[in-house]
Amino acid sequence: MKMAVIDPAENEVNKNIWIAVGTWRWVANDDNCGICRMAFDGCCPECKLPGDDCPLVWGECSHCFHIHCIVKWLNSQQVHQLCPMCRQDWKFKE
Amino acid sequence: MTHYDFEVTGSKVARCHIKVDMVNDNFLELIGEIIGPPDTAYDGGKFKLEINIPDTYPFNPPKVKFVTKIWHPNISSVTGAICLDILKDQWAAAMTLRTVLLSLQALLAAAEPDDPQDAVVAKQYKENRKTFTQTARHWTNVYANGPHRECELEKILEQAKNMGFDEHKARVALSSSDWNLERATESLLTS
Repeated sequence: MKMAVIDPAENEVNKNIWIAVGTWRWVANDDNCGICRMAFDGCCPECKLPGDDCPLVWGECSHCFHIHCIVKWLNSQQVHQLCPMCRQDWKFKE
Repeated sequence: MTHYDFEVTGSKVARCHIKVDMVNDNFLELIGEIIGPPDTAYDGGKFKLEINIPDTYPFNPPKVKFVTKIWHPNISSVTGAICLDILKDQWAAAMTLRTVLLSLQALLAAAEPDDPQDAVVAKQYKENRKTFTQTARHWTNVYANGPHRECELEKILEQAKNMGFDEHKARVALSSSDWNLERATESLLTS
């Protein structure tokens, strides 16, 4: 019976290149924007790419929307600016 | 125009008895249908709605009116125009066609006679509820294919038809005069 002898020195692999893969998500309390119905991980219908150019914003009532969607909604309201989800006065959460 | 998701995927919501279909190949003209809620005069009727989506949707409400003729204080018996706050100043961008149709179904179950669209119907609703319910049920039976017939009213209508009046015109005149044949005849002859 023969035993295979593996020399660790001969089997050494040199790791010269490594490729990092990262993902990101918005941390929101919902999956979709209540105004445009698009996924929060996507962007609003006016934008092409999700990310920092199409950010999410929160109201003090805790509801969350694409910033472009909620600003459009607030601009379309002449008298009271209410959250489209709960009708409380809309205030941006700091 | 930007395309928003209307949430009509799987347009039939069997449990709620509402549905939405496209008229042509675009999302701007739609036909909705709601079933009259049980334990109301509209029970089992199929009511068709014309829905027009404005370019500014969902920042402005859809334009909705009844295509099926209906006898209800908040809906015009002539044009089908609807008086409902969420279709006007109480619209919110988070509402969907689904919530609109469910609200209309709720309106059928709970009329608001103090904020009427059709003054004649609202007056009857407030002053003569039994006649109102019978009339609404009769209209549901005739125009919305509802299952409940109102034989008493049908007999009076038959008399008016035998006098040579058009059926629909006679129905409107009778409904508007609490099914008093004499008063209805008078209004049919003077109009």
